Parts: sequence; structure tokens; C-alpha cells
Amino acid sequence: MSASPVQPAELCAPVRLRTGLAWSLFGVWYRHVRVYCKTFLANATPAVLEPLFFFTAVALGLGSYMPQARFEGLPYATYVASGVLAGSAMFTAVFETTYGTFVRLAYQHSYDAMLGTHLRTSEMFTGEMLFCASKGAVFSTIVVLVTFCFGVRPTAWCVLVPVVGAVTGYLWAAIGLIVTSYVKMINNFSFFTTGVITPVFFFSGTFFPVRGHYVVLDVISMLVPLTPSIELSRALFKAEFTPMTLLSLVLLLAYTAAFHLLALRRMTMRVLR
Amino acid sequence: MPQPLPQSVVSARGLGKHFGAVKAVDGVDFEIAPNECVGFLGPNGAGKTTLMRMIYSAIEKTAGELSVFGLTPMRDRKRINAHVGVVFQENNLDNELDAAECLLVHGLYCGLDFRTGRRRVAELLEWLALSAKAKSTIRALSGGMVRRLMIARALLNSPKLLILDEPTTGLDPQVRHTIWAAMRELKRQGMTILLTTHYMEEAQQLSDRVLVMDRGRIILSGPPNELIEQHLERYVLQASGLTDLPPIDGEIRHEHAGDADYFYARTEPPLQALYDRLPAQSAVLRHANLEDVFLKFTGRGLHE
Repeated sequence: MSASPVQPAELCAPVRLRTGLAWSLFGVWYRHVRVYCKTFLANATPAVLEPLFFFTAVALGLGSYMPQARFEGLPYATYVASGVLAGSAMFTAVFETTYGTFVRLAYQHSYDAMLGTHLRTSEMFTGEMLFCASKGAVFSTIVVLVTFCFGVRPTAWCVLVPVVGAVTGYLWAAIGLIVTSYVKMINNFSFFTTGVITPVFFFSGTFFPVRGHYVVLDVISMLVPLTPSIELSRALFKAEFTPMTLLSLVLLLAYTAAFHLLALRRMTMRVLR
Repeated sequence: MPQPLPQSVVSARGLGKHFGAVKAVDGVDFEIAPNECVGFLGPNGAGKTTLMRMIYSAIEKTAGELSVFGLTPMRDRKRINAHVGVVFQENNLDNELDAAECLLVHGLYCGLDFRTGRRRVAELLEWLALSAKAKSTIRALSGGMVRRLMIARALLNSPKLLILDEPTTGLDPQVRHTIWAAMRELKRQGMTILLTTHYMEEAQQLSDRVLVMDRGRIILSGPPNELIEQHLERYVLQASGLTDLPPIDGEIRHEHAGDADYFYARTEPPLQALYDRLPAQSAVLRHANLEDVFLKFTGRGLHE
């Protein structure tokens, strides 16, 4: 070490630090992107293949028995594609902030390392949710591209799919964080994934219209946080905007804001102990 | 009670942290002056880590006053921690990344831009003799390398206050001495250093002053050598397995604990004389050290 040409005086000279919100969020986001990309194939394969399987099995398989059917004015394959893309954004985000966050929290102690810096807990977890929003944008778009190969034709409005995917990803990242803040053992997530995420995916209008049968179901369906995303996605594929579209947009943003605040509050309590 | 000095880097008065009924830190007072290296010494569970966590705003105090750089932890976490570096007890590097990238990512957390970050990563890796490992994944590094990497990471923002939580626990002697030399160099550059350890030798090697903690309280404080001089005779003869006690003259103080006997004296000759009368392998004649002081005050084993 004595032979080192690096002078300790140089190491200890003050450096300029950018401690503002934007750079802090970018730092956290960048960390997650780099770590994710290190094992990109293993990470991205399920995120691409699972929606593809759902689409091929249901839209192409089941759908082949009803070639003339229109669902909310859309061919069935298009109907399913527009639902599955929102589900895909949900899955990729919620798994990141449940299993992923728990591993960082309990095994890798990544947040402890961040606590040794000027980062606020709100920045740590907002950065993480922004990363999930990015994943939501990417993987919902991939669904559009893949289903295009199977004949689903998007409208020009579908350039907004990444936006819907991003907000959906952010929202479900927040929900995942809230759940994680309560979880003491990693196995407990199975109650949430099987008990909540799976039914949400199947019963929020992804594969069939939930509303219009029972009033109670109509209300419940609108309260499920994935429904507004699917409504919006479908509006883009229909290029048709109704009061329902506006309501969905308002609901999606309201859910996102509320769960964002709750997630930061809960994770701050969990981390600063 | 003395007023906190305005130039104190850290100032604590009646500082406490209670987890329910457990008092992890139970009313401690201390001042850390700029460029001081202070060792917090104590057994596991003495409250050292909790105390450090309060200083870098990872946990809220439940009692007393604490200021760092004249600011209030938690409330001013950003302004304080911009100038703090922390070396954690356990490895919390990102195992998926290579060494250089781990540091770069942490540099971004600290607020470095990419250019400054890459420059500082290269310099710090070189300074800690890790340049050859820049592209190695964390899993491929030895324990000593990981710890040096943790130290490099804590220095990215050029901190004014460096907090080391048991920096050399579990490391081999070579690595420990390398790390100690690096710490002394940082102190020469004006850094203020807080160190927790349960190695008395480490505290004695690095610290201007030690604060001995036990069960959440500071039971003793002062420069290591002064503590030894104040509280113990200079020389110790330590012997184990003695079946019958040799006659002891008035200059020697004797203690018995377990199967060991301790003989203390202010000068060497009476102990040397006693040593010569004892069976050869069972005895060691040495200077009293911090560990003797520590055991005298915490009492475990020696003063039941």
C-alpha cells in the first residue's frame, strides 16, 4: 500500500455531492437496473413467457372456438392481449417488491448500506418503485409486440401502453412494499401471491368481462386496483374514450398516490428500527 | 454537566435507546472532538452498534440529546450523512455486481456524478490494494478483501466522520494490520473516526480515547494507556492450573478466577522473582493491558 501512487490527501479532499431528489432517485433506480441486468435472461424470461402462455392458451386456444365473438367490441385475441399486458406490468412489479425487496431487506441488508448515505427512506423506496415502473413499461410493451406477431393489431393510441404499464407497475410496486413491510418470513408471501395476485389477475376483466352480471361484482371489480389499468389499456386498443375511461384514469392515479404514501410510511417504519 | 462544545463532531447527553423494556443504550454522555479517533469498546450486546446507528440516523433515539456536526440526526439526516462514511459489521455489498460497480453504485447514492465516481472508485481500489479485483464479483473475494471494499465504499464521499462497526472482526492478522495502518493514515488527514470493537488490542492501537460500554452504559473513558495506569498496576503475571499458591510479598496483589491466578505489581522484579518459582509453561509475565482493565470493571469471570 505504501507503494501506491494514490495520495491519501487526495482521497480525503472534499468532493462535490449532488444530494438533490432527482439524483438520489436516479442512483437507486440505476442500482436496481444494473443488478437486474446482471441476470437479465433469468429475470426477463418468465416476464416475457408467462404472458405469452396466457395469451396463446386463452386467446388463441380457447378463442379459436369463438372466431366471430367480439368482447367489448374487440376481437377476443385483442381483448385478452390488452388485459394481459396490464397483468404483466402488475406481476413484474409486485414480485420485485415482495420477494426481491424481502431478500434485500432480510438477507442482503441492501437498505442498511443505503442508510449509511444521505438517502432518505422515501428516496430509497420511491427509486425502487420507479424501477418497477420501468419494468412495467417494458414488459407491457413486450406483450404488445409479441401479440402483434400473432395478429393482434394495436391502434395508434397504443403508443401510450408504456405509460399505462409504468403507472401500473408503480402502483403494484407500492402494494408489494406494503405487504413486505408486514412480512416476517419469506414463505408468507405465498398467501399474498396465491390469495390476492392470482385472483386479481383472473377476475379483473383480463380474460372475460366481469361487469354487467351482478351490481355487487361491478362495484368490487372497479375497486380492484388492476381494473382501471385494464380499462385504460382496452380504451387504447379500442381508440374509444368514454366517461368510464376517465373514471379509470382518476382511480388509477388515486390508488397510485395513496399506496405510494402508505408504502413509504410502512417501509420507513420497517427499515428504521 | 459541561455544555456541548460547539466544535464537537458528535455530542451526546443522556442519550438512550429503549426497545420496549430493553435499554440498548441507557443514558450515555460523550463529546467527540474533530480529528479524534474514539474506540467504543464492549462485549456483544453492550449497545455499541445501536449507538452508531443513532449517530448516522438509522434509528431514532428514545431519550436524551444527540447532535452530529451541530445538527440533529434523523431530522437533518441528509446534511449529516453527506459527510459521514459507515463501514458496517456485516457484508452488505451487492453480490450480483463486481467490486468496481458496487462502489460506483454506492457513489451515486452518495451523490457523486459518474465521472467523479469512476475516478474515486479507481483511486480507492488502488489505495486499498484492490485494483486487481475491480472486475471480480463479491462472491469471489476473500473476507479481508470484502472488508477493505467496505472501507473503500465508506470513503467515496470523502467523509469528515468515519464510523467503523467492528472493522476487523474475523480477519487474519495481516489484514487487520493493513486496515489499522489505513485508519491511522486517514486520521493524519484530519478525519474523525469512531470505532466499535470488542478487540482490546484494536482499541489500543487506533484510539486516542476509549469509551468502555457495558449493558448500554459507558462505564469508563479515557486514553487507553491512562486507563491502564489509573486502574491497574503496570505488570501482570498470569498463571493457570496452580495447585498450591507460592508465598506472595506485600507489593503483589493477587486475584483468582476459574483456574487462573493473576498477580499484579507496579514494578517488574517482584513478579519476575515469583515467575521464576512457578512451573515453566503455566505462567506469562506481561504488561497490563486494556483487557485487564475491562475485565476488572465488567467483572465477568474475575469478580463474581
